Amino acid sequence: MPRRTHPVSALFVLLLAPLHAQPEHDRAFAQSVRPFLATYCVSCHGPQSPAAQFSLSAFTSPANFLNDARRATQVLERLEAADMPPKGAPQPPPAARRDAIDWFHAVRNNEIRRNAGDPGTVLARRLSNAEYNYTIRDLTGVDIRPTRKFPVDPANTAGFDNSGETLSMSPTLLKKYLDAARETASHLYLKEDGFAFAPHPMLAETDRDKFAVHQIIDFYHQQNTDLAAYFETAWRFRHRAALGQPAASLADLARRHNVSPKYLATIWQTLEIPEPIGPLAKLQAQWRDLPKPQPNQPAIARPGCEAMRAYVANVRKKVEPRFINITAGAIGTAWQPLLIWKNTQYATHRRTFDPRQLQVQGEPPFNQANVVEPEWDNAFGPGKTILVENPSGDPDLFVPAGQRPRYEAAWARFCSVFPDMFYKESRGRNYFKTGKDEGRYLSAGFHNVMGYFRDDQPLSELLLDEKQQATLNRMWREMDFVASINIRTYVEFAKLGTRGTRDDFKDGEPEVGDIEVDQIVSEPKLRKLEADYLKFANGGSPVAIQAIKTFFNQANTSIRWVQQARRDAEPAHLKSLLEFAARAYRRPLSPAENDDILSFYRDARARSALDHESALREAVVLILMSPKFSYRVDLVEKQRAVQPLSGYDLASRLSYFLWSSMPDAELLRHAAAGTLQNPEVLKAQARRMLQDPRSRALAVEFGANWLDMRDFEQIGTVDRARFPAFDDALRQAMFEEPVRLLLDVFRRNRPITDLLLAPDTFVNPPLARHYGMPPPAGDTNTWTHVPDAAPYGRGGLLPMAAFLTKNAPGLRTSPVKRGFWVARNILGDQIPPPPPSVPELPADEAKMDLPLRQMLERHRANPSCAACHARFDSFGLAFEGFDPVGHRRTHDLAGRPVDAHAQFPKGVEGEGLSGLRQFISQHRQPQFVRAFAGRLLAYALGRSLALSDGPLLDEIAGQPSLRFETVLDKILASRQFRNKRSPL
Amino acid sequence: MKTPISRRTLLRGAGVAMGLPWLESMAAGATPAQPQRFAVLFMGTGISPGRWWAKGSGAQLELSESLAPLEPLKAKVNVIDGLFNKAATGQGIHPAMTGNMLSGVPIRKGSIIQGGITVDQLLANHIGQETPQPSMVLACERAMTGFHETNFSNAYSSHISWQNSDSPVPNEMYPSLAFDSLFENGGQLRNASILDRVRDHAQSLSRAISGADKIKLDEYLASVRDVERGIERMRAGKQKAEEQARDAGRPLFAMKRPQDGLPEDIRDHIRLMCDIIALGFQMDKTRVASLLLARDLSALYYPFLGVSKQHHGASHYDTEPDYQKIVHFQVTQLAYLAQRLDAMKEGESSVLDNSVILFLSNMWSGTKHDNKKVPVLTIGGLGGKLQTGRALNYFESGDDNRKLCSLYLGIMDRMGVNLPGFGDATTRLAGL
Repeated sequence: MPRRTHPVSALFVLLLAPLHAQPEHDRAFAQSVRPFLATYCVSCHGPQSPAAQFSLSAFTSPANFLNDARRATQVLERLEAADMPPKGAPQPPPAARRDAIDWFHAVRNNEIRRNAGDPGTVLARRLSNAEYNYTIRDLTGVDIRPTRKFPVDPANTAGFDNSGETLSMSPTLLKKYLDAARETASHLYLKEDGFAFAPHPMLAETDRDKFAVHQIIDFYHQQNTDLAAYFETAWRFRHRAALGQPAASLADLARRHNVSPKYLATIWQTLEIPEPIGPLAKLQAQWRDLPKPQPNQPAIARPGCEAMRAYVANVRKKVEPRFINITAGAIGTAWQPLLIWKNTQYATHRRTFDPRQLQVQGEPPFNQANVVEPEWDNAFGPGKTILVENPSGDPDLFVPAGQRPRYEAAWARFCSVFPDMFYKESRGRNYFKTGKDEGRYLSAGFHNVMGYFRDDQPLSELLLDEKQQATLNRMWREMDFVASINIRTYVEFAKLGTRGTRDDFKDGEPEVGDIEVDQIVSEPKLRKLEADYLKFANGGSPVAIQAIKTFFNQANTSIRWVQQARRDAEPAHLKSLLEFAARAYRRPLSPAENDDILSFYRDARARSALDHESALREAVVLILMSPKFSYRVDLVEKQRAVQPLSGYDLASRLSYFLWSSMPDAELLRHAAAGTLQNPEVLKAQARRMLQDPRSRALAVEFGANWLDMRDFEQIGTVDRARFPAFDDALRQAMFEEPVRLLLDVFRRNRPITDLLLAPDTFVNPPLARHYGMPPPAGDTNTWTHVPDAAPYGRGGLLPMAAFLTKNAPGLRTSPVKRGFWVARNILGDQIPPPPPSVPELPADEAKMDLPLRQMLERHRANPSCAACHARFDSFGLAFEGFDPVGHRRTHDLAGRPVDAHAQFPKGVEGEGLSGLRQFISQHRQPQFVRAFAGRLLAYALGRSLALSDGPLLDEIAGQPSLRFETVLDKILASRQFRNKRSPL
Repeated sequence: MKTPISRRTLLRGAGVAMGLPWLESMAAGATPAQPQRFAVLFMGTGISPGRWWAKGSGAQLELSESLAPLEPLKAKVNVIDGLFNKAATGQGIHPAMTGNMLSGVPIRKGSIIQGGITVDQLLANHIGQETPQPSMVLACERAMTGFHETNFSNAYSSHISWQNSDSPVPNEMYPSLAFDSLFENGGQLRNASILDRVRDHAQSLSRAISGADKIKLDEYLASVRDVERGIERMRAGKQKAEEQARDAGRPLFAMKRPQDGLPEDIRDHIRLMCDIIALGFQMDKTRVASLLLARDLSALYYPFLGVSKQHHGASHYDTEPDYQKIVHFQVTQLAYLAQRLDAMKEGESSVLDNSVILFLSNMWSGTKHDNKKVPVLTIGGLGGKLQTGRALNYFESGDDNRKLCSLYLGIMDRMGVNLPGFGDATTRLAGL
């Protein structure tokens, strides 16, 4: 099994205060312990190819053992368990063994007493790849994951990749850091009041367009414009008492049913203030006819509300205003100023109606034939204006003789509340064939050139509150501010000169080719083009002339605005830059650091001739490249060996522990106020942080490393031809299951023994099917809690498919790997690596002559193998009821019935998973708790454990309540967590 | 206390990663293999049908009036007729005919643009790592965004080079900036000034800490210094190589840095861009270039030709003399670049002989918006790997045997990039 350990780690073990062995320990070592080791141990564990790669030859003084707590502990454990020396090797007399054990205890206890709770050496280190990604996410607000192409971080001896013991830097990696910083900075975009980061790079104009257009479209789509939803919510308000909410206000219901409170109030009034005539009178009749609430029929009013919606749509269509294309002199209907005029007419008349469509008794009918549109035969459009045709005798449009004014007023009220459209999200050239417009978001409908047009007046006026209006207005300004859409559109337009969009048919003066944008959009140039246009428009109607002037005035205003706004925003961007740096450095900047960043920005502009935005981007790269961002260095005064962490360092330690990411504003406020060293504050912050979505990182980063499944999402050992059910969705679900359970234990403060012994788990549809459970309704993102999974052979971590799959080599199970995983990862046993010459088991279970169980028995018959295998094989055999992908089974792949009986250590008999759980709960529970707490402590501190951590772990393991927060609180309150030892 | 990683290990790792610039090894007296280069030039909305053909081969190759500017180079030219890009047909006119010219994958309608990596960028990914800049993507006309009425983004009309399925490579329109990025190592200079500051940060932090913490941070500092030295070496190498080449009397094509800003005259603009490509190829600053002469829906004017219509407008009358003038003008620019490269001697041959320039348009006829076949030219022999001086016609070979992507596969093969398939093709163009 490849472990991602790193040779450097051994160099960083325990740099504690100078080591002192007591003189009597030195004497005893020389007189009895060293000869004991020489006699019984070193023949195998000597300098030349030591057994289990475990050499004792360098251990020539007590200090050697103190220096290497892990090995010392292993020697002691094996001597106590009496499985070393192995059977068959010369055995020491019991008294000699006893003496050696006592010596180890005495030395160890002495050391532990002296150093209990020592902070140990927590090295300065770079952020791990995972931490870098999470930190960038929280720093920028977008999940860029710039380290996805970095090499995998190695783990330390505690199994975690978050310590200076193994995280190193190299020139090759540094270059990847540069790439990562540049990639992150490429997402930056400038706003009027600072800068932000988009979910995608913002360097290309198409990317900026996409961003600016989609934020508006997304905003539109978030608004509820379904009239039936408003009618139904109004109905709920009318019947609020009967529906059990007598105190509910309109606004309450609006929020609950996701409709605009403002528009709901309008609808309510419109329905409730009696209207004697016209379309509203008919709508109100339908409203009054809606059924009353009935028990168990929550949707009883829905069909009636949908009928009302259909009525509005049908009637509204009949009176929709239509605007005839205009021309002016030589300027045709499709030229941008006149097309914009037409767009504007529609956009500003959506809450009005065409009174000519009313069919008044005694008046001659509206004669369509009299309406003549210029360029009616223009094949290139901008779309002929198709007039609304209503057959005469339409009862909806009927007006009694002499009542036109009264009815027009009624129609105006109706149409004002019910616009013909709330917003137009796409537009084609062919105005009335909307099916062809799909996807041309916000388009102005120009021919062959870019152009956008805003048409959302009814939405803004009727549905949006002031804050939402401001948001939408800002987004439209950002079309120009972020994406330069007004300038680029105008440049395209100006390059056409006076040729409009129909250069094939009209003559005019061409502009020269590309020149500088600044010149093209300058006011003199713009006014010159306007004058040319007006010359060509000579003889046009006043409306058309005005339309041309308005077009140029608007272009001018908008271009001048964006030029000015960009200049005005520069100080805000620099302020934003310094704030960004402070958040990146996870502490306030010193005045010198402020100067450093600003001077870098100024240099980039002056020396490298970069524009404002590029220079800012360079400064962001600098900040991300600074070790102040990419390294975690706990600063201490050099003179003092042990001292409390500063507030900011403690904030980072806490946030990288629980979130694998930077501290948030609240944590930094506490750091600034100096309150974090108060254990109660620290505890309260940790509670809050656990409930935050970011604590998922604790489950993923701690959990997956602890349980050795970090690379499970890429696991490729499964033969998908033999196990077709194993697809990417199932693999992802397998990985997610333990993460969900861990989070549940963390966030609901469950006993940590629940991880092993509780009957519950979490499944999504693919995993439920794999487990033979009824799948929850929904897609793969639908996870559901299964309170009692025992009937399906599940519950807790042990039988999770991820571990059963990961610890099986493909076409057979592996009791060895599965058992080793339980012993090592769950129970914290120290087990040496296997010798290099272990016999290979056949790869395919279906091709074995004997059941795996019997092959393992043979292997254990060899005493030097049994020493280790006796400690874990039985745990793995208990899982024999699960196939290589963790599916429950009764027969193995060769068709033999499986036997999940196991003889656990110390002769305890058990059967399958329940037997294993029983064994752990009766014999190994404290060991599990201590191991879990030890792993969590190592992860929290970012270092390997030391002997001096023993008392804390003993204290935790001795707690009456073993809930997660108890473990967490003990760690947070520990000296280790809140202090730093100045490294040697 | 041992140092966790010896300095030597760090340096050894770095030396491998940095590599040596081609020029430096040249300066050191080695005779390097001549690098192969790829350039693609694009002009939108088709050629002038009836005036675009070739007959015969070799010295007897007969060129039509549109191709006349290539006459002096005709032994190095292939005129390839009859190829098409199936994904670009039947989707609508203009952008839908353009966005996948060089990728062969279907492109997406609507507001999310989606295409595929193009042949030039794929080549850059493979061979671009050997030069300071993997590729250059230049344009003589500004890009458009927004939508065409076919519901395809105008971005498809404006970009021929795509780095991945989501984003085109931003076009560089400014000759001065293209020049800087290529010859002043703009990116490297910027990295150098960042690393310079970062080193200060690391040093000041290092002063505040001690012991093993300091060792960890010094590891960072050493990495920063190492990368900085790499950048310096590269710059020094360039200078040294240039000096030695000059001393050895090797004719180094010289070019003054273009003025800031955009050239007002399209003739100047295109010439500057061609000069930059030529120089970049000769000095092995890059081996891949893409140049958009006139985009699809081009709004370029050519008043100096006496043509009053815009490029796109004129293309609607593509058999008229006006459009022929435009096509002839653009082919003249192509010939200019080819002759520049041919004048640059490289051993026994020329830079052109070690390159291939691909010229193509998105339509055959702009009047008909017809892309059942598109015009294709290649110039240059890729170091003898590509036979030239031929008129090839695939129009009657069947749709499976006349794919543009098959041509790209054939070209990539000859440049040492062997792929099982590309775009819509899994076979090489027969008889290339």
